[in-house]
Amino acid sequence: MNPFKLQIVTPSGVFFDDMSVGVVLRTTTGDKGILARHELYAAALVIGKIKINFPDKTSRVAAISGGVVNVEKDKTVILTQSCEWSDEIDLERAELAKTQTEEKLKSFTENSSSDQRELCIAEFKLKRALNRIDVAGG
Amino acid sequence: MASGNMKAIKRRIKSVKSTKQITKAMELVASSKQRKAKQRAENARPYFEAQYEMLNKIAQGDGVGTSVFTKKREIKNRLFVVVAGDRGLAGGYNSNVFKMVAAECKDDTAKPKIIAIGKKTIDYFEKNGYDVIQKYPGFAENLKVGYCSDIAVTAVNMFKGGEVDEVSIFYTTFVSSLQQNPTKFKLVPVDTESDKGSKPISLTDYDPSPEAVFERIIPQFLLSIVFCAVCESYACEQSARRIAMESATDNAQQMIEDLSLLYNRARQEKITNEINEIVSGANAI
Repeated sequence: MNPFKLQIVTPSGVFFDDMSVGVVLRTTTGDKGILARHELYAAALVIGKIKINFPDKTSRVAAISGGVVNVEKDKTVILTQSCEWSDEIDLERAELAKTQTEEKLKSFTENSSSDQRELCIAEFKLKRALNRIDVAGG
Repeated sequence: MASGNMKAIKRRIKSVKSTKQITKAMELVASSKQRKAKQRAENARPYFEAQYEMLNKIAQGDGVGTSVFTKKREIKNRLFVVVAGDRGLAGGYNSNVFKMVAAECKDDTAKPKIIAIGKKTIDYFEKNGYDVIQKYPGFAENLKVGYCSDIAVTAVNMFKGGEVDEVSIFYTTFVSSLQQNPTKFKLVPVDTESDKGSKPISLTDYDPSPEAVFERIIPQFLLSIVFCAVCESYACEQSARRIAMESATDNAQQMIEDLSLLYNRARQEKITNEINEIVSGANAI
């Protein structure tokens, strides 16, 4: 398999910048695999996991919280708000975030007068927490 | 007379010394914070640049003229995101940004809406009767991406809903430790005119469509620029404070030297006087 350059860039720095032979992403329209010499392509990503295959036949899984992917001729760039390798996820923290946001959402549904924006934020947080737990578990 | 004067000078030296100690400490704190802040700003930059590049690519080449984010409307209401510090004592850092905002909207009939980042920003715009719709005090030091997304989502929703027709961000760019410039950056609507006349044909395949990707990118783009702007402004703030404190320390040092000279002179005068008295007393006998 041919390697190609893959970059994952987050606001806190360049998370990954190395050669890869294939990457599987979750876009808004479904899972997509990208190999070397893929056509020029751009898509929005959802909260989910990505799998990167390395030239030495190993692979790693990471959790990302949405973003975009841009396939160019010489490199593929993934832009995301946050990215964590599956083995580096703090499971305890994720569980904590999960229970906290669940409680928050429950309190929102109980008093229906709550702010729509707050609700969106809480939902987004819950989705991220669930994703992190999912990625770390499997 | 001379001894009273000496006491006063001594007291002043003491007070200037303690002020110097404080400014020196603040300088050290600011310089260590500045290093960290600069690092953070540098880390955030590639994300912003990649985002900007991609946004431009779609906006220039791939026919998203129909998107609500590129369409030009008559500008009636504007939303300004203003980034400044939580504390003063940083030279012209805060006031430079405020001055720029004031100059920007002095011809407007309606004052712009403001999203204020930093305690000083909140104080200033509330005092001057602006409509401050969101306040973020103590935001820059422990910056989290989540808060930025809050701002981005608010701005996008207000723009989409027609409440505002333009969103700009005011912040300070870091040129060097000695120079920082207040800057205005227009977030939306995104400019689509290309100078080249003919648009480059793009071969990129957008999934599902350029518009869909574009609309997904916009909030993220706003987030990234808010994040970047805050990081950069914070680095500037620390740098400006370090410079301000450095010169304050220098001034205090200068003052201590001058006062010491004065003190020594007064002391010498007093001694001379005493000798004179003794000598003339001895002569009288």
